[in-house]
Amino acid sequence: MKKNSVSEFELEKEDFKIKLKRGPSGGATAPAVYEENPTITYTPPSSIASASPSQMTGAPTLAATHIMSGSGEQEIKSPMIGTFYRSPSPEAGPYIEVGTEVNPDTVVCIIEAMKVMNEIKAEAKGVITQILVENAKPVEFGQPLFKIRPN
Amino acid sequence: MFEKVLVANRGEIAVRIIRACKELNIRTVAVYSEADSNSMHVQLADEAICIGKSPANESYLRIDRLISAAEIADVDAIHPGYGFLSENAHFADVCESCNIRFIGPSSRAMNAMEDKAVSRVLAKKAGVPTPPGSEGTVENEQDALQVAKKIGYPVMIKAVAGGGGRGMRVAHNDISLVKGYHTARTEAEKAFGNSGVYIEKFIENPHHVEFQILADTKGHIIHLGERDCSIQRRNQKVVEETPSPLIEHKFRKLRDKMGKAAVKIAEVANYTNAGTVEFIVDDKGEFYFLEMNKRIQVEHPITEEVTGIDLVRYQIQIASGEPLRHKQGDVTFRGHAIECRINAEDPFDEFRPSPGRIEMYYQPGGRGVRVDTHAYAGYTIPPTYDSMIGKLITYGKDRREAMDKMSRALGEYMITGVKTTISFQQAIMQDPNFRRGVYSTNFIEHLLSGARRELIEEKG
Repeated sequence: MKKNSVSEFELEKEDFKIKLKRGPSGGATAPAVYEENPTITYTPPSSIASASPSQMTGAPTLAATHIMSGSGEQEIKSPMIGTFYRSPSPEAGPYIEVGTEVNPDTVVCIIEAMKVMNEIKAEAKGVITQILVENAKPVEFGQPLFKIRPN
Repeated sequence: MFEKVLVANRGEIAVRIIRACKELNIRTVAVYSEADSNSMHVQLADEAICIGKSPANESYLRIDRLISAAEIADVDAIHPGYGFLSENAHFADVCESCNIRFIGPSSRAMNAMEDKAVSRVLAKKAGVPTPPGSEGTVENEQDALQVAKKIGYPVMIKAVAGGGGRGMRVAHNDISLVKGYHTARTEAEKAFGNSGVYIEKFIENPHHVEFQILADTKGHIIHLGERDCSIQRRNQKVVEETPSPLIEHKFRKLRDKMGKAAVKIAEVANYTNAGTVEFIVDDKGEFYFLEMNKRIQVEHPITEEVTGIDLVRYQIQIASGEPLRHKQGDVTFRGHAIECRINAEDPFDEFRPSPGRIEMYYQPGGRGVRVDTHAYAGYTIPPTYDSMIGKLITYGKDRREAMDKMSRALGEYMITGVKTTISFQQAIMQDPNFRRGVYSTNFIEHLLSGARRELIEEKG
């Protein structure tokens, strides 16, 4: 989970259910830093329908990238491929709205791939000015997700 | 049949696969790196998903990103093309465990052929000869002499940790063997950190002849004839043709014999889908199994022209569970086909890669001319991947017609803005030895050294 910068993971199958949650990662942590394994480990069932993080080759860098546009706004771009979600769960409210002040560590959205919910951080300080993708829509690598006016 | 297929590749082969899918009414999904956003395969596919930055290990080799793309596009199958992950057993496994069909052999069949050592054992099981050599490494001078005596001079001393033509020495007698053995070991230790060496028969004037096989999931396996790929430069194929002039003119019986051997190898490996069995043939018509390539190959078009069978379409059909519609007796060979690889390289400057923007592009046409490419006027060849612009294939009723057409087509082919190997290919087509069909894997070496050089420069 650390390797993929995943904070929360929940899996339910007919014979078992597991929920893992990492402690809050205080301060800016570069995604490329590998830390020790979480204290709870589980053995996935032998036929895997949803891939476990250990199946991934290499660690996807989850650093959102930015581009300056003419009006002083930057874009927060997707660091991965998956489905974009605005809130941590269907019942919860969205992480951010237009006008929200964000810090580099603020989680702005979730991109789900292979049943793993990846929290995407703003990686910039400023105010969100535009939300560019609809909830539950697929996104590709480099796709602009939000516009932010840095301060 | 699949409804949607993701093409996990780029360049000309991605275009080829997309075409085969379209002809089967299958919707296509292209994946691309940031460097390939203007690439032809992206334009031709029904959907396209960017999967990362230009380095292959941040895009085309990223299993997680390919699977994520396959997921969001909801595809039934993935075609891996050639290179990249096409022979990666782990990738094949991940696809299957995610309920995505991998268009190629199973991971089990791939593992049965994973390296030369494993393949040799399999060949033995299939009763197919492999190059005579020591069983494993040779530990001392005495053993070296014994092995050499058994297999007969000349022999090659090879470093186990070597590769790409490095760490090899030839010995023609006992004295040069002993000297070579010790030097090879010292060199190997220095270069690879591993002094292990083995000894293999040195085949002079070797011919690289490979056989195309197709195997369905019901255990039916057929071969589709040979391809002669002896025209190579630094172990990279430059020209391929079928039938092989060596077999056609000198050793007619080899086609059947080697074809059967190729099928046997595939059988013993429980192989499915398309594959190629590589052999080395000497001037006396002795053949030895080298290795098996578990993917569609670059030079597959020449087999298609001569057999009339669409190999990529067959790959998709086999993967979707359809049985082979051809029995061995149904496969016929008509005419002659040649393929010339056109690379963005400067033949006058050691074949230095020449990426950049293609300014003018006019590709040859007419009867019996086929061009498999992703290039177009205004396309920028990125520096990050291979230098292949495309493949020029000609088909004629016999070798002479195929060669003449190739010369004609090469003369028409116009690409400006980047350097290409078109003039080099023309020099090969005009070479008297090539025209006679008398050549082996040292052909290009001889062509480039000495007097032939002015012929290439003249054609440039």
